[in-house]
Amino acid sequence: MSFKRFQKQNYIIDSANAFSSGKMSKRDFLRNMGVAGVGISAYSAGLLGKPRPFFGNVAHAQENNTPEDVANFLREAGKPFAGTTIRYTSEATPPTNILNELKSEFTELTGINVEIEIVPLEQVLAKATQDVQGQLGTYDIYYLDQAWTSTFSPDTIDPVEYYASKPDLAMPGFDFDDFSKPLVEGICEYDGKWVGLPFDIPIFTLMYRKDLLEKHGIAVPETYADFSTAVELISKEEAENNIYGTGLQAKSGHYSLECDWSQAVWGHGGSIFGADKNFSGNDAQAVEGLEWYMNLLKNSPAASVTSTWDGQWQMGASGQIAMAQSWAEFFPGWNADDSEVKGLWEMARPLQGPATLRSTDDVGFGEIPNWGHQGGSSIALSRYSKNIDAAWLFLQWACSKDIMTRCTLAGGFAPMRNSSYTDPRIVERKNLEGSGTTRHLDTVKWTIDNVMASEPDLPIWAGVANNEIPTELGKLLTGQEYGGSAKKCMDQVAKLVDAVVDEAELG
Amino acid sequence: MKTQGSRLPRWLRSEHPFPWLFPVTSLLIVFGLYPVLYSLWLSFYKRNPATRKETFLPSHNWSKLISDDRVWDAVQVTFSYACIALILQLVLGMLIALLLDSDKKGFGILRALMTLPLVVPPAVTGMMFLLMYDSSFGVISNALYSLNLLSPDAPILGTGSTALWGVIIADVWQWTPFMVLIMLAGLRALPKEPFEAASIDGATAVQSFFHLTLPMMSKIIALAVLIRGIDLFRVYDYVKVMTDSGPGTATETLTAYAGTVYFKSANFAYASTVALATLILVLVTATLFIKIFKVRF
Repeated sequence: MSFKRFQKQNYIIDSANAFSSGKMSKRDFLRNMGVAGVGISAYSAGLLGKPRPFFGNVAHAQENNTPEDVANFLREAGKPFAGTTIRYTSEATPPTNILNELKSEFTELTGINVEIEIVPLEQVLAKATQDVQGQLGTYDIYYLDQAWTSTFSPDTIDPVEYYASKPDLAMPGFDFDDFSKPLVEGICEYDGKWVGLPFDIPIFTLMYRKDLLEKHGIAVPETYADFSTAVELISKEEAENNIYGTGLQAKSGHYSLECDWSQAVWGHGGSIFGADKNFSGNDAQAVEGLEWYMNLLKNSPAASVTSTWDGQWQMGASGQIAMAQSWAEFFPGWNADDSEVKGLWEMARPLQGPATLRSTDDVGFGEIPNWGHQGGSSIALSRYSKNIDAAWLFLQWACSKDIMTRCTLAGGFAPMRNSSYTDPRIVERKNLEGSGTTRHLDTVKWTIDNVMASEPDLPIWAGVANNEIPTELGKLLTGQEYGGSAKKCMDQVAKLVDAVVDEAELG
Repeated sequence: MKTQGSRLPRWLRSEHPFPWLFPVTSLLIVFGLYPVLYSLWLSFYKRNPATRKETFLPSHNWSKLISDDRVWDAVQVTFSYACIALILQLVLGMLIALLLDSDKKGFGILRALMTLPLVVPPAVTGMMFLLMYDSSFGVISNALYSLNLLSPDAPILGTGSTALWGVIIADVWQWTPFMVLIMLAGLRALPKEPFEAASIDGATAVQSFFHLTLPMMSKIIALAVLIRGIDLFRVYDYVKVMTDSGPGTATETLTAYAGTVYFKSANFAYASTVALATLILVLVTATLFIKIFKVRF
């Protein structure tokens, strides 16, 4: 057993002892287990279906209250709806977690109760689908992953139009133009309509351990080729310390694997669909991307094939990996006070080249091949809601400048609104080393504004991205089928995906 | 003089069975029959997920089911899972029951302790084993690594050849006590005379077991196999929590596949078809078993 592993096991035992003797709270215990790579993944697997890791501090968001002008508006506008209860179902995203803590502020101002039902992502999809299928109005607000935007477009109310049509319920200074334009286009706009309001933007950037790169004299990788060379070198040199060049979110059958795969495909000049609307993940460029990914897997912790985003986060926080091209929102947690590698992580722009990106003219279904995969989401007003106006007030409050800025303060993830980046509360935390740092946000904003990639917009994408693609990839990566041939695997995926597209009469 | 019974409403004094069957029949209709019929109705419709248009096309989902390779893989996994887990639980259950079939002091407590795994929710059991299998700190994984029986490069639940065994072991840990309890009840109800006679005739313990215990216990064993077999055919919790059907489809049972189609692809019609196919498979297998082994209730 390596010393590092011994230390880790001691850390787990000490935390367990402190918890059982009452010297540590349950929250702190779970937090420590998360840092050590224990527990959170297991608990979440069953209870929350792998929520995205969140180790922010909600207290940072609770330092301020809703600004007075907004509060006055809500007090007046909310009066007719006092006592109403609105329901909203969502995945356990960091901003949803924070909003859940802040919602009492909204209730105090308006008298409107808010129930936020947090369930695994796939259940959110099933519940929302059932709701719209029967036009039930069970939920007043839907959480919509960017992959579902087109699916739910007919079932939501365009917030821009609703704002204009209901001046008495229009929050002063709401300012739609303040939302980041690429986010609006990439996350919540479909066919010229705002399906919802942008709410969350996890996006791929490169993150690296500066101490390890310096130790081995490696420059910060800029291209895919640089990255794999650096990964191989670090995995080899740090084998005794049980440190790997990178770690992946390659769990079979999970959307996280599809996210990793699609970025590898785009990064090698490929795309998911061609202009003819046929699956193109089996062409030469895409297969090259997958082979590059398979090579990374050889230099990653074995647990990569059972990890989603939370597992990858734990690899970074426990000091097990040196680099990751992954979700930028990991960065604050990896630098948090209780991280084993606090202050050692840095962020750089996502890897670019040496291949050139495929043009958007050569792809289908509105896909945008680029260097920074986005996994954003929006929250949307249900057309079938029985409390549309009460829900509309909540939606405006949740996506207002102040609340969105405060969500970022608590979690350190990228804001949706341009004004948040220049908010003094965000700016002053740029110099922080530990918890609550915002020093990575400039790189995140650059990635959003310049190189943000988006998955295809087609109504069946949610199913394909969560089922057919990651399941077959899982068979390949774990050696269950295809004998290690990326091409054979992707030919099979092409067959499956094209059949689904044909069945939906989208081809 | 009026009796107490005559003060009751007339329907409560009825000797006709219907009023007494009504409550449970209603529950069965609402929670059993209606969902099955609704699923059947759903399975006759082709749903276009893009347009949400539903077309009455009874053969669509059923022919898709027949040509779906994942269904056949899932059938194979389901049978493997059910058969292996059943054999292990049956053999271990009988062995432990024989060990605990004693009136000596302390054995009562041991028998009571056997029920503990049964009160743990299956999802929690799944999570416990998930932790114990973890490749960096899990007690089971580390023990197997130390014995050179497994490599740290091949996590138990992340490797196609071991994942199914990993899930089966969790199931066996939880449900073997159920077999123990049934076997114990059977063993303790056996008449003593045949065993005494066999002993006088010089039969060994092994001979007594194979020639007396097993034949006399056959009906109880068949019943236990039937109950557990049906349960094992519809396993979902362990698979969902521990592997989510992976890696690939190595642990994808029929119910897990139905869940995937329902939750991930939101194709309710096809998910209903897979679920109904599972029900049919269970009914056919159980009926064959009852006929072949002449199980009587």
